[in-house]
Amino acid sequence: MSFFSRSPWILHYDGSSCNGCDIEVLACLTPLYDVERFGIVNTGNPKHADILLVTGSVNERNIDIIQNLYRQMPDPKVVVAVGACACSGGIFARAYNVQGGIDKVVPVDVYVPGCAARPESIIDGVVQGIAALEQKRAKVA
Amino acid sequence: MNPILLAPLFLLVAPLFGGLLTGVDRVISARMQGRVGPPVLQPFYDLGKLLQKDVRPVNPIVEPLLLGHVVFMALSGAMIVGGVDLLFTAFVFALAALLLVLAAGSVNSPYSFTGAERELIVLLASEPFFILMLAAVSKVTGESTFAGVLASPERVAPILPGIVLAFLLVATIKLRKSPFDISTSHHPHQELVRGLTSDMSGRLIGWVELAHWYESALLALFVLLLVNWSPPLALGAFLVVYFLEILVDNSTSRAKWQLVLQSTWAVTLVLAGGNVLALFLLRS
Amino acid sequence: MSNLVSFLVVFPLLVGVPLAFVTRGKVRNALVVAGGAVIALASLATAIAFGNGSAVFFGLPGDLEPGLAVVAAEAAIALVVIVVSLQHGRRLAPVLATAQLAIAVWLEVTGRMPAADPARLFGFDRLSMVMVLIVGIIGTLICIHALGYMRDYQRTYPQTGGRRQAFFPLLFLFLSSMFGLVTANHLPLLLVFWEVTTLCSFLLIGYTRTGETIGYAFRALNMNLFGGLGFSLAIVLLAAQPDGLDLARLTAGPAGAALLPAIALLALAGLTKSAQLPFSSWLLGAMYAPSPTSALLHSSTMVKAGVFLLLRLSPAMAGSAVGNLVAFTGLLTFLFVSFVATTEQNTKMVLAYSTIGSLGLIVGSAGVGGAELAWVAVMLIIFHAVAKSLLFLVVGTLENRLYTKDMEHFDALLSRMPRLSVLALAGIAGMFIAPFGIVLAKWSAIRAFLEVPGWQGAAFVVILAFGSALTIFYWGKLLIKVLSTQAVDAYHRSVEDRVTGFEWFAELSHAVLVVILAASLGLLSESIVGPYARGLFPGGTGALLHLDPAVVSFMVLAVLFLPALALWSWRKSAYDVNDFYASGRTTNGEHAIAAALGGTRAVTLRNYYLVGVVNGEAVFRAGIVVCGALLTGMIVAGVVLRA
Ligand code: SF4
Repeated sequence: MSFFSRSPWILHYDGSSCNGCDIEVLACLTPLYDVERFGIVNTGNPKHADILLVTGSVNERNIDIIQNLYRQMPDPKVVVAVGACACSGGIFARAYNVQGGIDKVVPVDVYVPGCAARPESIIDGVVQGIAALEQKRAKVA
Repeated sequence: MNPILLAPLFLLVAPLFGGLLTGVDRVISARMQGRVGPPVLQPFYDLGKLLQKDVRPVNPIVEPLLLGHVVFMALSGAMIVGGVDLLFTAFVFALAALLLVLAAGSVNSPYSFTGAERELIVLLASEPFFILMLAAVSKVTGESTFAGVLASPERVAPILPGIVLAFLLVATIKLRKSPFDISTSHHPHQELVRGLTSDMSGRLIGWVELAHWYESALLALFVLLLVNWSPPLALGAFLVVYFLEILVDNSTSRAKWQLVLQSTWAVTLVLAGGNVLALFLLRS
Repeated sequence: MSNLVSFLVVFPLLVGVPLAFVTRGKVRNALVVAGGAVIALASLATAIAFGNGSAVFFGLPGDLEPGLAVVAAEAAIALVVIVVSLQHGRRLAPVLATAQLAIAVWLEVTGRMPAADPARLFGFDRLSMVMVLIVGIIGTLICIHALGYMRDYQRTYPQTGGRRQAFFPLLFLFLSSMFGLVTANHLPLLLVFWEVTTLCSFLLIGYTRTGETIGYAFRALNMNLFGGLGFSLAIVLLAAQPDGLDLARLTAGPAGAALLPAIALLALAGLTKSAQLPFSSWLLGAMYAPSPTSALLHSSTMVKAGVFLLLRLSPAMAGSAVGNLVAFTGLLTFLFVSFVATTEQNTKMVLAYSTIGSLGLIVGSAGVGGAELAWVAVMLIIFHAVAKSLLFLVVGTLENRLYTKDMEHFDALLSRMPRLSVLALAGIAGMFIAPFGIVLAKWSAIRAFLEVPGWQGAAFVVILAFGSALTIFYWGKLLIKVLSTQAVDAYHRSVEDRVTGFEWFAELSHAVLVVILAASLGLLSESIVGPYARGLFPGGTGALLHLDPAVVSFMVLAVLFLPALALWSWRKSAYDVNDFYASGRTTNGEHAIAAALGGTRAVTLRNYYLVGVVNGEAVFRAGIVVCGALLTGMIVAGVVLRA
């Protein structure tokens, strides 16, 4: 086990969503779930992050932003799609401006289902993301 | 012990001290917010990870400047314990702090640049105090080296109450606790996406972190200079100060740089300057 | 010795006169380079001949007497001032010049002027040696730089074309008078050289003869003539005292009450020349002169004449009310102008404020006195001369290439002009980075002030603590601008290639000097500055540099290691200067950010000028009032103490 599994720093991006999943992600930081216990930090800056956590779907205007954020993250990095919207477009999939899940624009490593996804499953998704991170690091090294 | 041997010892022990301190800080902050918080060793895990990550510097001079930042920050502490003139180390310390500003400034991006400018304000706000403090310590004890001050029969802190009070304020800034529009603490409550380190990645952040640990150890050395008669008491005093800072940080999360500059200068001038004046009048 | 010093004074004139008639660029270049080389070598030879021992005194070759020549020279100076002033309809300068001349004539006619000792007209000690080397070497380099600089300057200001002829002769006339000034021991003789430098400064500031520069030139002239008048009055008072006009004997020890008024007047002259508050505004106006002028007269040499005189006076005034007031004037000037500098955007003005501030530190050290502070003063004179001259030259070159002096337009200088940036960095580092001389001197000054008893000591320490922080702030801002990086197109990168060889040579030599001086600080302190300071204030023992020279050398190496590392990483790493974080927005080669509704927005980043926290103009005015009051107090104290 390397340091990656003990110190995953997260960048949270919210695409086209109802903000339900967004709030569940923030709930993970609160005393009830307290993800900092696992060394998880919400960084707000792609250059510091290991895990890109996306809620909401991709639309016309945020494609390049998601791609840019992903590109600016240094390797190794993983993407976790949280909620139905991020996985497939969810209930907005048919909307005129929505392209679909975020795997349309960046490679996704972990899909967390739910509408909204529960904090427990979000944390579980991040833990699986950490495993993916470890694998990628092994490949890089 | 021979002061020349103390210098390498400081280089080794200071990061451990600073890292542990940061770990404890994060736990205590979490507890204050009703959370459990990360393991105490979390800062070391973070550093380990940062050093393993890929780096993409935005320009070729960021990393040399950051390395300079670490080296001179470590050097200023090593110089203090190694027996170099105390006042001189204030200027080495300033150089170290400046190099961080320059590293961020060299990126020339909105966040980094603003972070650099504000850090420069921090330097402007705190530098007079450190010069005054070290000058006053030298004046009180008549000694100009670390070992000399520790060996001096004169107790420093009781004679320098103003300096001690001002230290509390300046330490808040230097430990990156407040104000929120400057500090680069781990809390999500500060603006600018951490400003100074916005465009640094991987081990570059690691260098900043390491230098910060050295800086914390350096501040502990300063406390030791003030509480020169008993090192254990000094350590205790430092921890109490640190705890107070965490408290201040968690309760005044919206102080801004204008306020900090003006208030720090006012406090330095009135408390530290007044203390120095009294010292000169009484002692000569 | 006598011959060498005479050569130093006369030879520049011999170079200057033909330069006034040369119109071909090649001939001018050859003359200036060859003449400069001879001057530099002669100053080195003088230093070697002196041999770094105790002071020597000598007269003119063949034991000539100055006699009426002094009065004749003063009359000539007054004549030039009066003619030029009346051409421009100025009244004050002629009055001041006439008053001075009248005093000199009156002294001579009434027979009050005692005969000068023909064997003690000139004196040469370690301080003279330092000054001669600075004038000879830095001065020559600046003249060479001017060959390249003035060519481009004429293109920018074509209306000055007709007066090009006068520029180089004036520089050489100035060098000549400066050599005389730092070696003269007979005060009336010193005054003549003093006034010649004032005149050169006046003519060079007004070089472009636009309404603006003429105004500044006259401001400088008036203030310096005012100081000169103080000098003349001091001579009147001293003429009545035995050995009063012999500078070395006059300042051999603490001045008695009888001499204090004269010392105060001489100090006044020194303060005007070194542009301390309330007289600082003339140096700010002088920044409108071509940059080599600023480098030569207004940072490295002429303004140093003021602090040179004050340092000479130091043993006489130390400990007296006059000395204390001089010290406060200098140190408060340092504090006030450092404050103002944080709000200034024009780089040359920042350099000017920093010059005034550094001079203020020297003045403060001279006023307080003592071996340690004499050491500080000489160190500051040396290091400031080299570093600041370098900065003025670089800014001059930048100004010719970028057509601006605004700090904010020096954005991404490192990317656009890497070589010039490195030179600028050397200069800035020399001004305020830890192991370089100026910071060491500042630190030693604080140490020495700790020993000053009473509230004065506390005040000095507090002033230095705040002043130093301000210095770090304004230099830091400039450094950020220089070091910032950005993608640069081929055209902008080619701008640097048009810098002339003369400029490269002069600036590079300066930069090398900065580093060598810093690295050899221990040697410099032990062999020259230390013995001088000990000689000036005998009694103390022990080293004056409270630091192992090895630590200094180590730190210089550590600092030099950074650019080496940067160079290495420049070659090696893959980086993209446009890939900065902009909240997820993409960024592109013009340093612009993709806007939300299409198109791009350019990024413009501006330094903090403490708007709303510090009001530069108000601070400057306050400084004038405070220091003006101090100076009035100084003159009054001198007179009262005598009575
Ligand atoms: S998945 Fe459901 S809860 Fe989550 S953002 Fe989409 S609509 Fe809202």
